[in-house]
Amino acid sequence: MSQLSARAATRRNPFRWRPDQQWEAYLFILPSLIGFLVFVFIALVASLGISFMDWGLTGPRGVAGLDNYRELLRDPVFATTFRNTAFYIVTIVPLQLVLGLSMALALNQAIRGRDVFRVIYFLPVVTTIVAGAIVFRLLLGRNGPLADLFTALSSWLGAPFSFPDLLGSTRYSKWSVVLLTLWKNTGFTMVVYLAALQGVPKELYDAAHVDGATAWQRLRHVILPLISPTTFFLFLLQTIGAFQLFTEPFVMTRGGPAQSSMPVVHYIYDNAFLFTRMGKASAIAWFLFIFIFGFTLLQNIWQRRWVYYETE
Amino acid sequence: MARRIWFVLSVLVAALMVAAACTPVPEAPAQPAASAAPQTVTLTWAFWGSPEEAASHKMVADAFMKAHPTIKIETWNEPWSDYFTKIQALWASNDPKAVPDIAFLWPTPKYAAEGVLENLDPYIQKSGYNLDDYWGGLLESARYKGSVYGLPRDIEVNVLYYNKDLFDKAGVKYPDETWTWDDLLAAAQKLTVKDASGKVTQYALAMEGGKYSKWVNQNGGAILDDYVNPSKCLLATPNSIAAVQFFADMMNKGYAMRDADLSQAGGDQAVFQSGQAAMIIQNTSRVSSFNAAKINYDVAVVPIPKGGKRWNPAGGAAWVMSAKSDNKDAAWTFLSWLQSKDGGQRLYTERGEIFPALKSVAESPVFMTNQPPANKKGIVDEAAASGVGGFGYFPEWGELDSSIISPAMQKIWAGEADPAQALPELCKRVDQFLKDKGYPKK
Repeated sequence: MSQLSARAATRRNPFRWRPDQQWEAYLFILPSLIGFLVFVFIALVASLGISFMDWGLTGPRGVAGLDNYRELLRDPVFATTFRNTAFYIVTIVPLQLVLGLSMALALNQAIRGRDVFRVIYFLPVVTTIVAGAIVFRLLLGRNGPLADLFTALSSWLGAPFSFPDLLGSTRYSKWSVVLLTLWKNTGFTMVVYLAALQGVPKELYDAAHVDGATAWQRLRHVILPLISPTTFFLFLLQTIGAFQLFTEPFVMTRGGPAQSSMPVVHYIYDNAFLFTRMGKASAIAWFLFIFIFGFTLLQNIWQRRWVYYETE
Repeated sequence: MARRIWFVLSVLVAALMVAAACTPVPEAPAQPAASAAPQTVTLTWAFWGSPEEAASHKMVADAFMKAHPTIKIETWNEPWSDYFTKIQALWASNDPKAVPDIAFLWPTPKYAAEGVLENLDPYIQKSGYNLDDYWGGLLESARYKGSVYGLPRDIEVNVLYYNKDLFDKAGVKYPDETWTWDDLLAAAQKLTVKDASGKVTQYALAMEGGKYSKWVNQNGGAILDDYVNPSKCLLATPNSIAAVQFFADMMNKGYAMRDADLSQAGGDQAVFQSGQAAMIIQNTSRVSSFNAAKINYDVAVVPIPKGGKRWNPAGGAAWVMSAKSDNKDAAWTFLSWLQSKDGGQRLYTERGEIFPALKSVAESPVFMTNQPPANKKGIVDEAAASGVGGFGYFPEWGELDSSIISPAMQKIWAGEADPAQALPELCKRVDQFLKDKGYPKK
């Protein structure tokens, strides 16, 4: 009888956790595990090895030791692209956080057509980036509609302004990339913030209100601390994303003019697929990895000072 | 019972997935080395191009198979933007079954240095293939360490296209072979139209910044002292600087479109067809589009400076043979047929696809047709002035050009740098690069 009921229980709950049958679990994940091993893990380890070699199209041409890394230190193009990436990080990350939070705060109110706005702001996130970049290229070009509008407006006002060459000058090309990236990604930041704002307990907010806190004080001392884990999460995610920026400038400006908008990842691509220098490309990739890793570690230490977890 | 079914199912699914991932590519049956009966061999032929270009290639393949029933051609094509990455991956696989036997390629020396290309010298000697019919300097672009690794299909002949309607409207005489840079400037002044706000609505000239070597070589300047084994940069010599300054001035004055604006506007073909530019300087690949669009245009040789010389960069993508090809003799039969007067060269030229690499084809009725442009002689004259000087023929040229030279030039074309200052700085960096790479090599 007891045996029977045990069997019935099994039948009722086929997904019960059984420590003695873990190998079945491994069987289930095997297909994706193999994929991970072959296409990610082995490739990762191989690229570390390749970074110490002079590796061409079909294989090693010789051992390079630390030469690839040493070359990076005095390669002016690498320095330029690295500076560009740093520029993208310090502009894109804070702008995206501020814009995303502002949009989330606005759309967290009971305003008319709220859902429509949410959809509109989120649309770019699900748009193909290549299509977006091509549209931006047409839009921002010196002969594009934005330039025409600007010229018409300034001549109407009688102001002697000329439209800046957003894509064709080394001064503004990076800002065009920033603009495109913000357009593309801010919707995502907004949605994550919206979710976080839903989690702010209404009692706390009301209590602050009753105590006479102004809207700014409520934001500064109630909302911001409560959503700080989300801010931290977005901060990390966006920083890593900005380090890996590639498609936006690649499609819109090809990194030009004069490498002024070329990020490090684009330079990795050039070395690997234009110059067939897989060794140097791998070295840059690992350099970048170490940098991102260090950066993330630092942020993890630093977050203890400003991120507030309710459970603590 | 249910549990057992779950288990069996999961094992089956997992096994299927593993099997699918690991199934070896079926091996083709081995070809007998020498068989008495005519055996059909299959060659893989790789090229890039638009659907229209691919259709031309397929037509050429059909014509070849008709003449050579024992050789079957299979085509492999990708758009230009993906072609090089994908073909590199095929070569990197080192698998004779995967690599194409014959491929369209540029630049040849870089890949020859990687060891993926077959040295064609023995085949040329054995079959007595005539190399003298190629335009001057053209074969240099397909040589590596003195040996021929590819046969260029066409030659880039950059000529001056002009819109007759716009010239008539501005009351400017059509350009001819007597034109100098001064004539070009005088015409440009009249052909440039600005609106009330000062915005240029019609440019006199649209020309890619990357084609600057035309002006430099015409003016007796040069990019490098030696294009195979360079030891120094010559862009800072007075003649080179003057030529770059000439081109930069055209842009700064609004006569010529800035390089970045040109690419944003869709390239020279688009701006010429829309009448945004009265002249373009480009190779002959634009002819078929302009004829199809029924534009009232003609071509002329590119104006030269006083005391300068006519010059055209000798270069063109080449057909190459993979070192790993498993049917090299058949591949050579196809390759040499492609590059023969009555084979591929004639077919491509007839379709208006190329300006032929072989002089005899350009001078034959196949090229000298009644189709526009009327001034075919201008194209042949420009082609006859072909020579080295547009780019390097050493494997590291691509890296040198795209990471150092082009960016510096882009700054000049954007009006942000002055040639007299930027070019000496550029040369310092080029010289350092060459030194780092061990040039000049002994």
